Amino acid sequence: MSALAGVLATAAAMAIGVYLVAAMDAAASRGLGIGGAVALPLRRGLALFLRPRARTEHPDAEAWALAPAALAGLAAVGLATIPLAPGLSVADVSAGIVLFGAAMALVMVAAFLQGWAPNSIHPMIAGYRFVAQALSYEMPLALVLIGAALPAESLSVGAIVESQAHLWNAIRQPLGMPLFLVAVAGLAFWGPLALPEGEDLAGGTSAEISGAARLAWRVARLMVLVAGAAMTAAVFLGGWHGPWLPGPAWSILKTVAVLGLLVWARHRFVRVPIERFVWVSWVVLIPLALLDVFLAGAQALWAAP
Amino acid sequence: MIVDALGWLLGAGSVLCAWRVFRADSMVRAAYWLLAAFVGVGMILVLLTAQFLGLVLILMMAGEMTIMAVFMVMFMMNPAGLNPMQMVHQHRASIVAGVTAFIGLTAVALLAPFPERPVPPGAAVTRETGMELLGDSMVIFETAAVALLATMIGAVALAARRGRHGDAYEGSVPPAMDPEEGA
Repeated sequence: MSALAGVLATAAAMAIGVYLVAAMDAAASRGLGIGGAVALPLRRGLALFLRPRARTEHPDAEAWALAPAALAGLAAVGLATIPLAPGLSVADVSAGIVLFGAAMALVMVAAFLQGWAPNSIHPMIAGYRFVAQALSYEMPLALVLIGAALPAESLSVGAIVESQAHLWNAIRQPLGMPLFLVAVAGLAFWGPLALPEGEDLAGGTSAEISGAARLAWRVARLMVLVAGAAMTAAVFLGGWHGPWLPGPAWSILKTVAVLGLLVWARHRFVRVPIERFVWVSWVVLIPLALLDVFLAGAQALWAAP
Repeated sequence: MIVDALGWLLGAGSVLCAWRVFRADSMVRAAYWLLAAFVGVGMILVLLTAQFLGLVLILMMAGEMTIMAVFMVMFMMNPAGLNPMQMVHQHRASIVAGVTAFIGLTAVALLAPFPERPVPPGAAVTRETGMELLGDSMVIFETAAVALLATMIGAVALAARRGRHGDAYEGSVPPAMDPEEGA
């Protein structure tokens, strides 16, 4: 795939994915029909786009402009590593999950800058809060990805999908997918883990932005969610494997299903306090993720000839 | 050809970002300029077909630079790191250290005999790295890893508010606002 086609394909997939999440969320939160749910994100997006941008006193203007662009770019890098069908990916790199992990680690920088740049108290606390949150979900994220890579004996996302031809990782490693979904919600600060956007911080990282900047930040966060959902579908739900339908259709259907699950979770669960999340993460989730890696390693050794 | 051009570009970009570290007037900016320099170095490693090492460098540095910024803000008692501040000090010593390090590294780069073995495309470099780390050198790396892990657990145990002897705040008194009163 040529470079330009790759960029265009990633951008198109991201745009469709983000719009789909926004529409699903509109349908779930307002009980709208299909027509209303499809129209609402467009209306609200346009309204945001046309509103004037807010200013603060002595902001770090470069960092403020960089943050949403960096977040969107990192999400696009993450999505580009994921193949739709054998060989059909934008960036088919041999260390695919490490590239995904590196992009998702830099999300912390983008979110921290977004909170720090406006030179304002609530976003700044939100930025520090996101660092605490990120340090809590990063370990489970990295560990369950390593666990998923073990049966494939490869760091390439394509090889990990290929290794699930007979049994999905979601079944082979039952701990992996729930932990990964928690990490994805944390990455995009979505639903119960939308703590850096909390009302207790007057909107947190979004407190001082309006207009196009607010729209860009919201879209970038949804892009991270889409990349995380696509990775879940590829690494835990067998990607393109499935009967009757062609491979890419299965990849897309599974990604949409994961996004639906995340939208449902947003409306089903309340936000958790950051202290409790950090505690649960370090005391419960990280040991569970370690257990996941040990079990996956034992299985791989047992299966080895 | 294009790899060479990218390598030079990334190298120049990394040096530029590293220079900006010392021109920044805030700890967060300095930390993230340093991160940008490291990302450039990581990408050069990727160009040298050490994909795994390059990407892991970027992955680790993202978290480390943020933590470094948070710690610097905490230790500097600069409210939240928002106020501009002078980031360079001890000029004479740092100039000597910088010039010495530059001469040393340049001498190594120019004088050391580097092996002339281009990695063939498609070589299993990640596998070979893993074999090196967990093969002959495993005892060294595992010793270092366990020592680091023990240090981290120890640091967390020391810093934790709740310990074996109860809450750390129990029995402690808040610092007095008036120095006379506290005496």
